[in-house]
Amino acid sequence: MAEENWIEVGKVDSIDMEDLIRFDHAEKTFCVYRIEDGFYATDGICTHEEVHLEDGLVMDDEIECPMHQGIFNIKTGEAISPPACDDLKTYPVKVENDLVYINIP
Amino acid sequence: MNSLKKILIIGSGQAAIYAASEFRKNDKYSSITIFGNENHHPYERPPLSKEFLMDKKKKDEFLFFSKNFFDDHNVCFINKKIDSVDFKNKYLISFDNKKYFYDKLLITTGSTNRKVEIDKEIDNEIYYLRNLDEANKIKKKASEVNNIAIIGGGFIGLEIASSLNQQNKSVNVIEISNQLMGRIIPSPIANLVKAEHEKNGNKIHLDSKIKSIEKINDAFKILLENDHIIETEMIIGGIGSIPTTDLFNNSDLELKNGILTNKYNQTSVENVYAAGDVSNFYHPLYKKNIRLESYQHAQNQGINAGKNIAGIKSEYLSVPWMWSDQFDLNLQLTGLCDDYHEIIERGVDTENGIIHFFIKDDKIVGACGLGLVGKVGRDIRIASKLIEKQTIIDKKILSDLNQKLNPLLKK
Ligand SMILES: Cc1cc2nc3c(=O)[nH]c(=O)nc-3n(C[C@H](O)[C@H](O)[C@H](O)COP(=O)(O)OP(=O)(O)OC[C@H]3O[C@@H](n4cnc5c(N)ncnc54)[C@H](O)[C@@H]3O)c2cc1C
Ligand code: FES
Repeated sequence: MAEENWIEVGKVDSIDMEDLIRFDHAEKTFCVYRIEDGFYATDGICTHEEVHLEDGLVMDDEIECPMHQGIFNIKTGEAISPPACDDLKTYPVKVENDLVYINIP
Repeated sequence: MNSLKKILIIGSGQAAIYAASEFRKNDKYSSITIFGNENHHPYERPPLSKEFLMDKKKKDEFLFFSKNFFDDHNVCFINKKIDSVDFKNKYLISFDNKKYFYDKLLITTGSTNRKVEIDKEIDNEIYYLRNLDEANKIKKKASEVNNIAIIGGGFIGLEIASSLNQQNKSVNVIEISNQLMGRIIPSPIANLVKAEHEKNGNKIHLDSKIKSIEKINDAFKILLENDHIIETEMIIGGIGSIPTTDLFNNSDLELKNGILTNKYNQTSVENVYAAGDVSNFYHPLYKKNIRLESYQHAQNQGINAGKNIAGIKSEYLSVPWMWSDQFDLNLQLTGLCDDYHEIIERGVDTENGIIHFFIKDDKIVGACGLGLVGKVGRDIRIASKLIEKQTIIDKKILSDLNQKLNPLLKK
C-alpha cells in the first residue's frame, strides 16, 4: 500500500476553475489544479527546464509551460507536446470539508 | 514492398530531428538518413547564447531527445556536408563527391550568420555564434579577456551581452539603428531591455555606425561615425542571418529569401520539402509567405514536414512565437506585429509583466511581452490562440489587470 501523507493545500475556493496554484512543501514545489473533472496535482517544475509551471496556462485537462509551451496532461502527467518529453509526476488529491489535500509520499 | 521509401534530410538541426521522429511515428520501415556537417548529436541552439555561455549548462543537457535517438528510431546519421543536389536525377552529392539517391528529400539547412565587412584583416578576427563549436571558441576567448564589443543589438547579440556580463565582462553593444531588437519590438519594451542592460553595466550605443576598426597589438580600437571610440579585446558579430541556400544556387529550386514552400512544406520541386529557418513558407492565416527563425517554428514545421513526407497531408498553421532571455527578463513575441491599427498595453512593470497587444479590426494580430520568467508566457500563449481563432476582442479586458484573459478563449 502506498504510504499516505495527506497535506492540506487550502480551501477549495483558493483555486479558480481551470486554474492552478503553486504549493510548496518540504523543499518541493507542486501544482494543484482545479478543472471540470475535479482537483489534481503534479510536480510544480517543468521537465524540460527548471521552470515553475505555476504561471502556465490551464486548458481543459492540460497545463502548458509558460517558457517554451511544452504541454502536460494534468491527470496523468504525460508530456503530450514538445519540447517537453519527460512526464510530470502526479499526486493524489482529495477534498474534505471544503479543504483540498495532496498526498505527498 | 515497393511502398518503402528512401528519405534523405540535409541538415541535422532542430527541424531535421523533429521531422525524422514524426516520420518514424507514421512509417516504421522506410529508411531515413540525416546528413549534417556538425559532428554533434542534434542540440538546442537557444542555450548557446544563454546558459552554455554562462557555464550553467553542459552540452549533454540540451540535446534533442536522447543520445540513443538514432538507434532507437532506426535513423541513420552521416556526418558529411552536402555540396549540391541533382533534383532531376534525385541524388545528393557530398563534399567527398559521393552520390546519395532519394525518393523524398527534406531540406533543413537552417541559417547562416551575416558577416561584418569592415576590413579583411579585422573581419577574420570577429567571432560569431551559430553552433556549439563557435560557442566553445567564444567561451575560450572570453575567458582570456575583460572587454568585449558586440556588433549588433538584435536578440542573439543582446543575449551574448547579458551572458558575458554575468561572467563579469565589460560589454559594449554597438547598434546601427535607434532601437534594440529591430522595429518589430515596441519601442517601450526595447527601452526596458536597454535599461536592464545598462543597469547591469553594459554600454549600449544606439545610432552607431562603425567608421573604422584598428588593431593595436592584441586589442581593437573601434571608431564610430559620431567619433566615439570603443577599445576592446574581442569583437563578436550579431548582425542577423540569411537562409542557408548557397548549395541550391543555379538549381531548379525556387529561392526567395529562403526556399519557397507551400503550407504542406513542399518546395517547387516534386518530392522535395523544406522546414525551419531555411523555408519561406506560405501561411494560410496571413495569406502570405513568411520566414521565421525560431525554436518553436523549427520544431513544429519539422513535425509537419515529417507528417507530409509520410503521406499524411497536413497544413502548417502554427502562429509564430519566439522568446529571448536577457538577465532576469523573459521576452516573448507572438503573431506578426507589422500591420496593425492600435496597440493595447497590459501591465505596468516587468516584475509582473508588461504586454503590448497589436490590434487590427478588433482582433489581436500580434503581442509582445516582457517580464520576469513566467510572467508573460500565459497571456502571450492566450494571445497566440486568439490570433489563431481570429476572435473579436473586447479590448477593455486586455488592459484590465483585474480580469484574467483565460475566459476570452471560451468565446
Ligand atoms: C545562439 C542562438 C540562440 C537562439 N535562441 C533562440 C531563442 O531564445 N528563442 C527562439 O525562439 N529561437 C532561438 N534561436 C533560433 C533557433 O535555434 C533556430 O531557429 C532553430 O535552431 C532553427 O532550426 P533549423 O533546424 O531550421 O536549423 P538549425 O538548427 O540551424 O540546423 C541546420 C543544420 O544544418 C546544417 N547544414 C547546413 N548546410 C548543410 C549542408 N550543406 N550539409 C550538411 N549540413 C548542413 C547546419 O550546420 C546545422 O547543423 C537561437 C539560435 C541561435 C543560433
Ligand atoms: S521549460 Fe517548460 S517547455 Fe521548456
